[in-house]
Amino acid sequence: MNDLPPGEFPIGSENDIVSARRIIRNAATALGFGLTDVTRIVTAASELTRNIYVHAKSGIMRWRSVHRGSGVGLELTFADNGPGIPDVAKALQVGYTTGTGLGMGLPGSKRLTDEMTIQSEVGRGTTIVVRKWLPT
Amino acid sequence: MPAESISVIKLRGLLLVTVPPDPDDTTVSALQEKVLQAMVQHESRGLVLDISTVQTLDSFFARTVVETVQMVGLMGGRTVLAGMRANVAVTVTQLGLSIGNALTALDVDRAIELLDAEASKELRL
Repeated sequence: MNDLPPGEFPIGSENDIVSARRIIRNAATALGFGLTDVTRIVTAASELTRNIYVHAKSGIMRWRSVHRGSGVGLELTFADNGPGIPDVAKALQVGYTTGTGLGMGLPGSKRLTDEMTIQSEVGRGTTIVVRKWLPT
Repeated sequence: MPAESISVIKLRGLLLVTVPPDPDDTTVSALQEKVLQAMVQHESRGLVLDISTVQTLDSFFARTVVETVQMVGLMGGRTVLAGMRANVAVTVTQLGLSIGNALTALDVDRAIELLDAEASKELRL
């Protein structure tokens, strides 16, 4: 019953962050998340698309529904061919930043979602996958 | 939403700013600038930021709000954040953000009362 057509959206401008929020708000709502979870997911998507725009200039956001037994979740992928993260463990520490930000985007997004995986290679790019499961 | 659409209303020595529901980064930055200019222009003693329609308060947006509160403070004004939605409050807290030394109120009405109370407290001192 809870299903969602997968999709993708390229990130290449500041305004794409706003569009990404809108797309993910609609996707999470359509999948059946409540308002607070929708806000958590949209906020994480906002942080991660901004990371793409700020650090890699461009990249792509993908979304799809995922299943685990009878459980349903939303999976978001944020991929870029940017500079990569030299030290992922450090990047997940609150307050660590290589730019002008607060250093909260990555650790914050991890807390707002249920699962997060980061694959990154310096000079090649970064792929971050987050999942949020519908409460059963 | 274009930056020009941010309304800054002067009200009983205060500024009332309604933050748009889903602003882009440029609009958020423009909002800060507009508020500070209006503080000087109208010699306001306080600022009410109405965030009751805001759906997403991410770290960039929150940082700009905290900075604005600090800047208004340096100019001798107090800021009240009015009307933060429950789901936004939950998310901001989990994200790990602190709103610094801003006052908060459930709505604009209570925010104005709060600033009036602050003003009369200062008069007595």
